[in-house]
Amino acid sequence: MMDIVVQIALNAVIAGAIYSLVAIGFNLIYSTARFFDIGYGALATVGGYSVFYFYKMLNLPIYVSIILAIVISGAIGWLVEKLVYKKLRKEKASNVVLLIASLGVLTVIQAIVAILFTSQFQTLSKDIGGQTTYEIFGGVITQTQVLILVSGLLIMTALSLVLKYTLFGKAIRAVSDDEEVARIVGINSGRVMGWVFFIGSAIAGIAGMSVGFDTGIEPVMGLSLLLKGVIAVIVGGIGNIYGGVLGAFLLAIIENLGAWQFSGEWKDAISFFVLIIFLIFRPQGIWPK
Amino acid sequence: MEYLVHILIFVSIYGIIALSLDLVVGVAGLLSVTQAAFYGIGAYVTALLLLGTGMNFFLAAIIGMIVTAVIALGVGVVFSRFKSEFYALGSFGFNIIVFSIFLNWQSVTRGPLGIPGIPRPEIFGFQFSENSAFLVLTLVILAIAYGVYTWIEKSSFGRVLKAIREDEEAIKVFGYTTSYYKLVIFVISSMLAALAGSLFATYITFIDPSSFSLNESIFMLSIIILGGLSSKRGALLGAFCLIVLPEVLRFVGFPSDIAAQMRQVTYGLILILLMLYRPQGLMGEFRL
Repeated sequence: MMDIVVQIALNAVIAGAIYSLVAIGFNLIYSTARFFDIGYGALATVGGYSVFYFYKMLNLPIYVSIILAIVISGAIGWLVEKLVYKKLRKEKASNVVLLIASLGVLTVIQAIVAILFTSQFQTLSKDIGGQTTYEIFGGVITQTQVLILVSGLLIMTALSLVLKYTLFGKAIRAVSDDEEVARIVGINSGRVMGWVFFIGSAIAGIAGMSVGFDTGIEPVMGLSLLLKGVIAVIVGGIGNIYGGVLGAFLLAIIENLGAWQFSGEWKDAISFFVLIIFLIFRPQGIWPK
Repeated sequence: MEYLVHILIFVSIYGIIALSLDLVVGVAGLLSVTQAAFYGIGAYVTALLLLGTGMNFFLAAIIGMIVTAVIALGVGVVFSRFKSEFYALGSFGFNIIVFSIFLNWQSVTRGPLGIPGIPRPEIFGFQFSENSAFLVLTLVILAIAYGVYTWIEKSSFGRVLKAIREDEEAIKVFGYTTSYYKLVIFVISSMLAALAGSLFATYITFIDPSSFSLNESIFMLSIIILGGLSSKRGALLGAFCLIVLPEVLRFVGFPSDIAAQMRQVTYGLILILLMLYRPQGLMGEFRL
């Protein structure tokens, strides 16, 4: 019994770390660009598949593959912002229009990935089963999962420090408060926005490859990860980075408890049930901004 | 010829769905991305009733519509409290929950294996086993859906819906309970989608969860956005374009799994390009 509880806790912590990453990137983009960027999920797919391409198909060293994948995810996010969202914002398109366009972005990217790499489920790690595992109070955690957890925490800390203490972070906060005023005081809001999309998408890429190393990748993973991130954000309090992290861990705990009580296939349904409960009773989230 | 009939049946089934979805998204202005869930509930209920009890198709389809309406009523009560993006998100959620029920409630739905051998509709001893006969049935139901749409659009009920779409606060001031209107149109729309699902199940004679995923709902949304929101001719035109287009891709000679992905690329691009250059679609009266 004790073993199960520990294992559920460990699983929840790892899932929570991955959801936190997605939530952080989503929150960053949402609070700056002010729309639900569904297409953001596709960058997780891009991250996972870039690692797959460089590491498994071209046999590049793992660190090079990871760095290339992060840059590619960021760059594609940046490109989509410049080609699509920037123009829509300029025309003062409503949020719903931006949401629909981003739905299109998601569909296109996931389908292109499926054409290039087939829609089969693939694994990223080369030594399946040969991983070092650690035992904590009777629960098992793999080395990959420890790495995911550590890098997740590092990224979260780094981002919150950057946002709080650097000039660049201030510029981002100024643009998210009021883009027009930020422009008047001389902030190049277009460039700041570009960076926000780059960083947010790079983080999504990291989340995607984390899932890939932990379990595996498939083109549709982007949408399900994104939805988890969005639920975490809403549960935690939209626009609040720490709230998103809190929501992510809470969601991961509920999901894993649910998977233990019923069965793993119901995870998605359970998490949406949580979302709908929150939208009804506490739409501003646990920790509103 | 047989092939042409097949395409026309699909265009008509999706035409019914497009009309039903446009009532919610176009006329009432609510971004619902969950039509495939209702379409699927209609299809599953009909299929299970036909195979389990051997009852008449039309009775099964009506029961399918009633079941869907009850579910839509429950969901709608919750949804009508949400605003724009949250409405969309909630509807995503509902679609995913329904999809995972189709997939995981294996004792009833047989999960990913799907339900084969669904009989074709029958009335007074005449079976719609020929595709051309089935096309006539589908066209009749499409005409009914078109009639329902026209009637709603012209009625005072429809005018209130359009007013909600344009400015919900203003119409509230006049004393209209807007959530009631939103709920009613949501339920009517779900019933039409369920009817389309019954047709789909008995036409293909096989259903599995993959036809009712969130992607399918996004596809349905792109049909009406391409055609133009709040336009019944637009809905039909959109259904025609987006059903015929992948067939053209197939003729170009892509293998079938790539053709399926190309279909997704195409409608994804259509969504992006329309939002950028023509948000009102081909013949829409309302732009989001």
